[in-house]
Amino acid sequence: MSAPDVVLRVENVTKRFGGVVALNDVTLSVGRGEIVGLIGPNGSGKTTLFNCITGVYKPDKGRVFFMGRDITGLQPHEVAKLGIARTWQKVRPFRNLTVLEAVTTGALLRTDSVEEARKTAVEVLELIGLPREEWGRLGSEITLMEHKLVDLARALATGPKLLLLDEIAAGLRPHEQERLAEVIKKVWSDRGLTIVVVEHVMRFVMSLSKRVVVLHEGRVIAEGPPEEVASNPRVIEAYLGIKPV
Amino acid sequence: MTRSTLLSIALFQAALLAVGFLVSGNNYYMLLLTQVALFAAFVAAWNIIGGLTGQLDLASSAYMALGGIVTSLLWMRLGLPPVVGVWVGGAVAAGLAVLIGIPTFRFGVREVWYALMTASLVVILNNLFRYFMGPWDFYLPNKWGWLYLRPRTYFELFIIVDVVLLAVILVNIYISGSKIGYYLRNIKEDELVSEAVGVDTRLYKLIALAIYSFITGAAGFLQVVIYSSFSYRLFDAGLAISIAIMGIIGGLGSISGAIAAAVVFRALGEYLRSTLGGVIPGLDLLLYGVALIVVGILKPEGLAGLFNQLRRWWRK
Repeated sequence: MSAPDVVLRVENVTKRFGGVVALNDVTLSVGRGEIVGLIGPNGSGKTTLFNCITGVYKPDKGRVFFMGRDITGLQPHEVAKLGIARTWQKVRPFRNLTVLEAVTTGALLRTDSVEEARKTAVEVLELIGLPREEWGRLGSEITLMEHKLVDLARALATGPKLLLLDEIAAGLRPHEQERLAEVIKKVWSDRGLTIVVVEHVMRFVMSLSKRVVVLHEGRVIAEGPPEEVASNPRVIEAYLGIKPV
Repeated sequence: MTRSTLLSIALFQAALLAVGFLVSGNNYYMLLLTQVALFAAFVAAWNIIGGLTGQLDLASSAYMALGGIVTSLLWMRLGLPPVVGVWVGGAVAAGLAVLIGIPTFRFGVREVWYALMTASLVVILNNLFRYFMGPWDFYLPNKWGWLYLRPRTYFELFIIVDVVLLAVILVNIYISGSKIGYYLRNIKEDELVSEAVGVDTRLYKLIALAIYSFITGAAGFLQVVIYSSFSYRLFDAGLAISIAIMGIIGGLGSISGAIAAAVVFRALGEYLRSTLGGVIPGLDLLLYGVALIVVGILKPEGLAGLFNQLRRWWRK
């Protein structure tokens, strides 16, 4: 991969919390237009990696590059301005905003005009396929699936180049997961995005990405096409805690 | 601005002015009404930082007193007429607020810690000013006129206060519908998510703080005019708390609720103080406490929730 095609590059990133090493010398690259799956058991450092990329945490060591630019240690809103958007593993419900208001806020990153932002928000909501009658609902009145869609819409409204999805399928029923995967594919092709998907649900990742990276105890232990990775003995060991027979 | 907002502002103004005309013969009631309207303006200004942005600020009286005293001193020492002086008073109050706000927001002081910190600001300034001013009351010069925002009649003073209240309401409405308002409401909901969608949370909290403290500081001089004097006692922690309480009872973020709470409870409080205050001191404060408990149990979304219910019921 030549340099201009690398959207995201994480280089030797280490993050400690007290004595716990959450990320240990992690290096990975994401190319333009890729959908990369980032998998690993609980506590393997997936969300921490997202937080280091988006500026929520500052890595103890290593650098993060976005489109060739060093973004290590930038504030989260600066990272967002550059074009990285994310969704949240734990649904962070907004109680007193309507769906349209929440998504409009995202769109306000690229304009000062509320009216223009609302137009962008409407476009995104239509693209995502959230029915119009839901737009006026408050965050406290919508379902989990709708929350996930709004979360995605809000991230998209900021006009990102790179989208980080943190366990977006968690807690959803299988048919909802399928629908979400369809939506993500649609958004990906429509907007020409690059996406990193953190996921527990293997099937969900497999349906989306051509390449997965496996984290275990803060280290990258495997990388490659999903089928190959799924049969990698180290990955099976990490997930099941036993050596395969 | 929607038509219904415009209509409710017009109705509110008409009612307030009508009451003003009705009681204009009685100086005590006139002063009481002026005080209530000014209090409502302080609550409406607080709504920007407390209601919209969700920062439990308890320093309202600090900015009010600082702005009021600066304006008075500029007039008495330098001869600067208060019509000009109030802007300086507001700017000084906003300057102090921003100076404190920068490290506060930088180190993520929020929720109860923010409340405690701002409450202590009032106490600190109270002590500082007592040290420098002494325990005396300083009376405003014996000059009257619009130039000094000190008209001869209470009715005219009421009109000035009413204009200020209207201005603060309009500022609230403008902010609510603008980009700043969207960002502030998002900060109130969730700071982490706000950052992730590109909101510079520190900057926008500072903006909210600056607007609120500027208005409070500039309007502070009108409180001095009502008293005709000022002293270190203007830095009143109890007043700052009751301003915040009105915003909470009103339903955080709702301008109509905040103003309704301010008008109803302050008027009732003053009434109880004047009628029963000698018998049971502090009854007005007890009333606030009871109201808070009732709102907390029955209507956590405040008077605004009640208004919304009524509106829905009306449409049916």
